[in-house]
Formats: sequence, C-alpha cells, structure tokens
Amino acid sequence: MTAEPTTPADVWALIERADELIKYASNRDPATAYAQARETLEHALAAACSVPGAAPLEQQARTRLDDIARLEGGAAT
Amino acid sequence: MKLKRGGQEDLDGRVPPNQRLTRGWPVLHASPVPKFNPAIWTFRVWGEVTNEFEIPWEEFRALPAVTTTSDFHCVTGWSKLDNTWEGISFAEIARRAEPKPTATHALIHAEYGYTANLPIDAMMDDDVLFAWSHDSAPLEAEHGGPLRLVVPKLYAWKSVKWVRGVRFLDHDERGYWEVRGYHNRADPWREERYSWQE
Repeated sequence: MTAEPTTPADVWALIERADELIKYASNRDPATAYAQARETLEHALAAACSVPGAAPLEQQARTRLDDIARLEGGAAT
Repeated sequence: MKLKRGGQEDLDGRVPPNQRLTRGWPVLHASPVPKFNPAIWTFRVWGEVTNEFEIPWEEFRALPAVTTTSDFHCVTGWSKLDNTWEGISFAEIARRAEPKPTATHALIHAEYGYTANLPIDAMMDDDVLFAWSHDSAPLEAEHGGPLRLVVPKLYAWKSVKWVRGVRFLDHDERGYWEVRGYHNRADPWREERYSWQE
C-alpha cells in the first residue's frame, strides 16, 4: 500500500515508479504493467494538483499517460 | 577484493554510489523491441556537419571497427561490469561527418523517435561507440541490437538502443528521458539522476 503523497518528492516517486513499470514491462505481461503504470500515474496526477509545490509534475504525469496510450495503441514512444 | 555485508564484492571504486552489481543483464526499455530488416535499415548523420551521409547496414558494418571493455550503470540501480563491445567509435563517425566548428552537441536518434542528447566532447572518448556485438556475440534485439550506442561514463539511458542516426547540433536539446525529468548530463559518479539536480 502506497502512502498518500504529501510532498513533491512523494509525487515524483510515484512517477518514477510508473517509469520502472513501463521500462520493465517486457519482462512480464506488458498490458498488466501498463495498467499498473497508468493507475500509478493517475494517483500522481491527482496528488500533483493537491500537494503544495507539486504542480510542475502534473505535466510530467500527463506526458507519461500519453506515452502509455501510444504504447497500448501499438505505436511506440 | 573485500566483501561487503550481503556478500557483494567491493570492486575498488568501480561501482557508483547506490548501485548494486548484477551478474545477469536486465532488460528494460520504453518501447517495444523493433524488428530489424537489414534491407531497409540505414544509419543517418546530419545537422551541423560538412558531410551529411546515410548508409545501409552492410556499409556501416564495413567501417573500421573497435573493441572496448567497459562498465555499464543503469539509473534504476544496477551495474554490470566488464562488458566487451565491438562496433564503430563515435569518433570515427565524427571523422567522416566533419562536424562544423559550431557543433557542440549530438542528438542520438533511435527507433520509435527515441532520442538522447550528449555533448560532443563526451562522445569523443575512446570508450564511446555504436556497438553491434556484446561479449563476442551479436547484440540481442532486447539489448538494443542490431546497433546501440555505448557511453560507459554516463547512466545507461544515454546508451541508446536501436540507434538509427546522429544529428549534430549547435545547441543542446533534451532527449526523451531528459524531457521527462531526468538529468541532462547523467554522471553516475555524481548521482545525476534527476533534472532538479541540475
């Protein structure tokens, strides 16, 4: 269970966790890895909007959600 | 050779801070593994150079090759030591392209639009090459085959897999991961992992 993010560093940690899920996706079921990454990024996105000082990370989360959509669509990053 | 707690070898300063040794070779990348077709594959060099060129696989493989041995450090925390690579040095590519005096950086282009940026000075080191072989075997597709860049002194996202070309620039331009919050320089000995450290 991930603790609720309270600092920008916590939000970045979620984004970095999503990055690792995507990077290592080919070692497991990619669809599951992408779904977990998306869930993690949606958590990060919500936190970026509410945690003081974390607003700049909103775009980072959105960029990665777009990346996942392309991966799931068959086109790649 | 000393042993650390947990049995991990202390290799006298060869492993950067907060890295752990791996004896395997983890597979990670941000896109699917592309299919290689030597009939249509080309390597392109363009931008701030006197001699732009684009050559097919066969011609690329005929360039004078070098063999190097170096360590490899991934930002996700693992290091793999004593990798032997064979390929074409970046210096050889630069020699053929003749960068203009205004050229300061290179943007490495790979399949699916992946990029990574590097200063040309760092690329001219003897251990920087475009490799097609690892430990005397053809580089496997999952590790970047048929061709990947190897930049041992920087975190491995700069060692771009599935390379298709180099664009020489008169300015710096952040690549795929550099735009996504990772460090522009990526020196593992300074733990340059994130852009906010810049």
